[in-house]
Amino acid sequence: MPIDPSVAGRVYPPQYYEVSREKIREFAEAIGDANPAYVDTAAARGYGHGDVVAPPTFMMIIVMNGFDLLMKDLGIEFARVVHVDQRFTYSRSLPVGTRVEATTRLDGVRAVAGNDLLKIRTEVRDEQDGTDFCLSEATLLVRPEDFDGGDASD
Amino acid sequence: MTERVTEQLAVGDVVADHTYWITRENLIRYAGASGDFNPIHWNERVATSVGLPNVIAHGMLTMGLAGRLLTDWLGDPAAVVEYGARFARPVVVPDDDIGVAVRVAASVTQVRDDGLVALELTVKVGDQKVLTQARALCRLPADRPSQP
Repeated sequence: MPIDPSVAGRVYPPQYYEVSREKIREFAEAIGDANPAYVDTAAARGYGHGDVVAPPTFMMIIVMNGFDLLMKDLGIEFARVVHVDQRFTYSRSLPVGTRVEATTRLDGVRAVAGNDLLKIRTEVRDEQDGTDFCLSEATLLVRPEDFDGGDASD
Repeated sequence: MTERVTEQLAVGDVVADHTYWITRENLIRYAGASGDFNPIHWNERVATSVGLPNVIAHGMLTMGLAGRLLTDWLGDPAAVVEYGARFARPVVVPDDDIGVAVRVAASVTQVRDDGLVALELTVKVGDQKVLTQARALCRLPADRPSQP
């Protein structure tokens, strides 16, 4: 059953996330990134940061928490979802210890060739003062529930 | 080094290129680190049941590797101001010890007066682009710190 386009415009409750030193290290290791700014406070200070910072695509962890809410709300299982595109616009670095508030909005729903395309916008802000860290814009493709094979290569 | 690095850059310059390898182990590690446990990234049975040729890499892992090329070049990870891509083709990861090679190259598309540089990333497996519209906007420091 296709997704009812009237769900477009839904805004999900803010998700809170605290950036921890060990998660930064774990994520950097997972992408094989040895940049010292992720693990070495002195190196991060050399770039003008107060302490270690998160890699640019670390932001996806925070954004995904909102995707989970949205998918639960719309009854979509993970295996039916393909990430089509992703864009981040960063206002500043994301240092360890930061507590952020991420707000997820379903901007649009469009049926294309039997699939649904969801446009999702996430604003990541400082929990304390509300200043921006990042804007995430993503498109997810959702295959129909009865999908049982075929070519999903594009 | 005090001169602005942007003065040394021209449109079309390839500023960095590298080949990254993705194995099944990398997918498991990335799943744990990112919290993305979609089974199409670790379970062949599920991947093929939804029409994929095999287990595929997380799009964000490929984008993370391509981003590494940028941050390795820039030094400061926070010098990436905008970064986006379209996941055009799945990166199929074989069940062996070698994995799949992803070749990434970054070239300059615009050098701006405000010190920002626009880059296009070419991200390929074999001769096929796996990411398209892979673009970044980066801030080049007036005085790049020496390599640590």
